[in-house]
Amino acid sequence: MDEVKVMDEQQRNESLNRHVELDTTQFIVAQLGGEQYGIDIKYISNIIRMSRITRVPKVSDYIVGVINVRGVVIPTISLRLKMGLPEDEITKKTRIIILTLEQHESIGVLVDEVKEVVTLDEEHIERVGYEKDDKERFLSGIGKTEGRLISLLDITSVLADVMES
Amino acid sequence: MDTSQYLDIFLDESKEHLQNLSDQIMELEQNPENMDTVNEIFRAAHSLKGMAGTMGYKRMQTLTHDMENVFSEVRNGTFKVQPGMIDILFRSLDALEEYVDNIQQTTEEGTNDNQDLIDALNSILKNNGEIKPINKAESAAAAETSAEPAAEGKDEKQPKWGEIKVSDTERMLVEKAYNEGLKAYGITVYVEEACVLKAARAFLVFKALEKLGEVIVSNPTAQDIEDEKFDLTFSLIFISGSTIDEVRAAVKSVSEIEEVFCDTYQLEAAPEPEHKKPEQEKAEDASPEPPKPAAATPTAAPAPAAASKPAASKPAGKPVVNRTVRVDIEKLDNLMNLVSELIIAKNSLIAATAAEGKGDNGNAVNEQIEYLESVTTNLHESVMKVRMVPIESVVAKFPRMIRDLSKKLGKKMELYMTGEDTELDRTVVDEIGDPLMHMLRNSADHGLEPNDVRVANGKPEVGSIFLDAYQDGNNVVIEVRDDGGGINIEAVKQKGIERGTITPEQAETMTDKEVIDLLFMPSFSTAKKVSDVSGRGVGLDVVKSKIESLSGEVEVKNSFGEGSAWIIRLPLTLAIIQALMVVVGDEKYAIALGSIQTIEDVSPDEIKLVQAKEVIHIRGTVIPIIRLNRVLDIPPRDEEGQNLTVIIVKKGDKLAGLVVDELIGQQEVVIKSMGKYIKVPKMISGATILGDGEVALILDTNALI
Repeated sequence: MDEVKVMDEQQRNESLNRHVELDTTQFIVAQLGGEQYGIDIKYISNIIRMSRITRVPKVSDYIVGVINVRGVVIPTISLRLKMGLPEDEITKKTRIIILTLEQHESIGVLVDEVKEVVTLDEEHIERVGYEKDDKERFLSGIGKTEGRLISLLDITSVLADVMES
Repeated sequence: MDTSQYLDIFLDESKEHLQNLSDQIMELEQNPENMDTVNEIFRAAHSLKGMAGTMGYKRMQTLTHDMENVFSEVRNGTFKVQPGMIDILFRSLDALEEYVDNIQQTTEEGTNDNQDLIDALNSILKNNGEIKPINKAESAAAAETSAEPAAEGKDEKQPKWGEIKVSDTERMLVEKAYNEGLKAYGITVYVEEACVLKAARAFLVFKALEKLGEVIVSNPTAQDIEDEKFDLTFSLIFISGSTIDEVRAAVKSVSEIEEVFCDTYQLEAAPEPEHKKPEQEKAEDASPEPPKPAAATPTAAPAPAAASKPAASKPAGKPVVNRTVRVDIEKLDNLMNLVSELIIAKNSLIAATAAEGKGDNGNAVNEQIEYLESVTTNLHESVMKVRMVPIESVVAKFPRMIRDLSKKLGKKMELYMTGEDTELDRTVVDEIGDPLMHMLRNSADHGLEPNDVRVANGKPEVGSIFLDAYQDGNNVVIEVRDDGGGINIEAVKQKGIERGTITPEQAETMTDKEVIDLLFMPSFSTAKKVSDVSGRGVGLDVVKSKIESLSGEVEVKNSFGEGSAWIIRLPLTLAIIQALMVVVGDEKYAIALGSIQTIEDVSPDEIKLVQAKEVIHIRGTVIPIIRLNRVLDIPPRDEEGQNLTVIIVKKGDKLAGLVVDELIGQQEVVIKSMGKYIKVPKMISGATILGDGEVALILDTNALI
C-alpha cells in the first residue's frame, strides 16, 4: 500500500555522495493543485492510499475526519483547505501521508498525489522570510531541483496551527 | 551492596507501612490504651527501620528508630500515649513520607535531618511521656541513653508456644501422634533483630522442619508469617519422630536465627471454655512486661481471636503458597490492548462471514464464531477485573486529612467512610484521588458550619462528613456528603453578579441547579475569606473537568441548612463497552448501552411542541426529543410521515429521546482515543473500529442531554 517512487540510480548515488559532503535533507514531494510541496521525510511514518474517512461533526472544515491505520484512529486534515486551495477531489492518485512528530501522535494529511523523494542540500534551499500571509507562514523555504521549485512545508507550524484552532 | 533492584519493593512496602502507621496512630488517638494498636505500630515502625537501614537511607532509619523507641516504652508501660505525642508522631510520619517521596523521585532520601522531630521524640522518652519544650542539649544526651534500655526491654526471650490456641482438630492430631509413638514439640523461634528477610528465614525454618515431621499449627498463622506480619518471634507445634536435639539442630541450621526454644508439647487437661481463650492469650502476650489493665480488657480481645481463626481451620499448617503477584501496570495495559485487538478481529470475522452469505457450512462457522465471541467476552471481563483495584488505596489517607483539617480550621468533625472495597479501573483510581480530596476539603471548609453555629442551629456540635462508594450498574458512584449548611443559593447568585458572571436579571430567573453549576465555573469561589484549605478559586472547575476526562459526571444535591451531597459517577472501565450501533443519515454511531433505557417506535403525530421544543409523551413521562441528524449536521433522510425510531437515554434522573434512522444492533466496542490534534466536540466521547475496518464515533449521550 505504501507507494513512494524509488529514486533512480544516479540520484541515489548523488545523494549518497552529497551526504558525505554537505548537510542534506530528504523531502517527499506531494502535488497539491498546480504546486509541488516538500515534506521533510523524518516526519513521515507512512503513506497510504485513500481509505474510508469518518467525518467528525462540529470541527474545523479542513479536518476531514478520522481514519483507521492498523488499529489506530488517526485524525486527517486536508492540506488543500489548510493552504486555502479549493476542496479536494478524490482520485485514484489521492494519498494520505501519515505524519508522526516526536510526541508519537500521528495525523494524516490528504494530498492530490505523491510524486517522488528529492534530496536537497542547504545550498539549494532558499529560506523565505516570515510573512503573515495565510499560505506562506506554513513554509520553511523554497527548494530548487532540476529547474523546478518546491515549496517546503514547515510541518511543526502546520500542526501547531491545527492544535490551536 | 547494590540495592537498586529492591528499590521498587522498598517503595511499595514503605508506603504500605506508612499507611498502616497512619491508620494505627489514628486508632491510637481514639483508644490510647489499646495495646494491640501499640504493638502494631511498633511492628510497622520496626520493619520500616529495618528496610530503610538495608537500603542505606540513614536519615529515615534514624527517625523511625526514634519513633520505635517511643513505642517500645509505651509497650513496656513506662508511660502512656498523650494527645501531644500523636501530633509529633503524625509530623514524623509526614517527614517519613517526604523521604519516601524523595526516594521515589531521585532515589535519594534528601538532606532534611528533621532534627526537631528527633529532638521532640527523644524529649518524650526523656520526660517519660511528658511533652515539654525541648532543651536541645538534654535531648541529644537522651537520645543515646534511651535507645539502649528500650532495646533491652523487649528482648526478654522465653518460650511462647503455650500461647498457641489449639483447636479440636489439632488436639486430635497431637493425641494421634502420641498414640502412634511420635512426639509433639512446642517450638519458639527468635529471629535476629538485624534480619531483613524475616519471612524468608521463617520459611526456611518451616522447610527444615517439614523434612522431619509436620507443623500442625503456628502463631502467628502461616499466612501472616509469610506476609512478614510478625515481630521477631514465632511459635509452632510440630509432630515428629525425631528427638528434641534433632529438631533444634534443624531450626538452628537456618542462618540469622537467634534463639530456639524447643520442648515436648503437652496438651492441657481439658479444653478451656471458648470465651476465655482470647483473654488469656492476650494476657500472656503481654506477659514479659508488667501487666497493664488495658491489655486484658474485652475490647482489645476480639482482634487476636479473629486472627487465630484461620490457623485453627487449617489443621495442616503448611506455609501457604502466596497467591498474589505484583504486575507492572504496563504489562496489563499491553494485555488489555491485545484483548481489544482480538475483539476487533472477532468483529471483523463476524462481518466477513455475514458478507460471504450462508454457504453449506454456514451454521458450523456461526457456531464457532459464537463460541469465539463468548470466549473473548469472558477474556475481556477477566482482564478488566485484573485491572480493577479497590478505591481503598486512595481514600485511606482521608481520615488523616480530615483530622488535620479539623485542627487547622478549629472545627470538630468526623469522617465516615463506607465502600472502601469498591473496585474501579486502575487508571481511574489513580486519577480520582485529587478531585475527592478537593471535595472533602470543600465540605470541611465551606460545608460544615463552625461548632457554635451548629449548636445554635440545634445540630450536633461535631460535624459529619460522609464518603460513600458503591457500584450502580456499569457505574461506580462516589458520594461526598456533609451535614453542614448546604449551598446558599442566594449567596452564590450574589457572588455571580459581583463577578459579572451573570446579570441581576439572569439571577432572577435562574433555577437552583443553574446556580449550583456556577460553582463549577473557573475562578468562582464563595468562601468569604481565602484560606489555605480551599478557596483559591481553583477547585471545583478542576474537579469537574478531571471527572469528565474520566468519562464521569458530577451531580450536586443541595438542601439549604441541612447539607449538600456531591455525587460522582464513573464508568467501571474505560477501554471496552457494550454499545448499540445506530445509523443516522449514512453515518454509523455507537451509543453506550449503559445509558439506554428503552427504544420506542414513535409515529410523527405523537411528537408535541412544548415551548418550541419537541417532546413525546411515553407512559406518563414527557421526554424531550433530540434529532441526532440536526445535532450532528447530517442531511435528513427523506422519510416524511414514517415512524421514528427513538432511543430513550438517561442521565442521572433526566431522560431524553434520540431520533435515529436505523438500528444495527448491539456490539462490543473498543474505545480508541482520537488523538490530540483535533478538539472533538463534547458529544463525541471517542471512536471505535468496526469489524470492516471503518471508524465509527461513540456518542456521549450525557453531553447531549
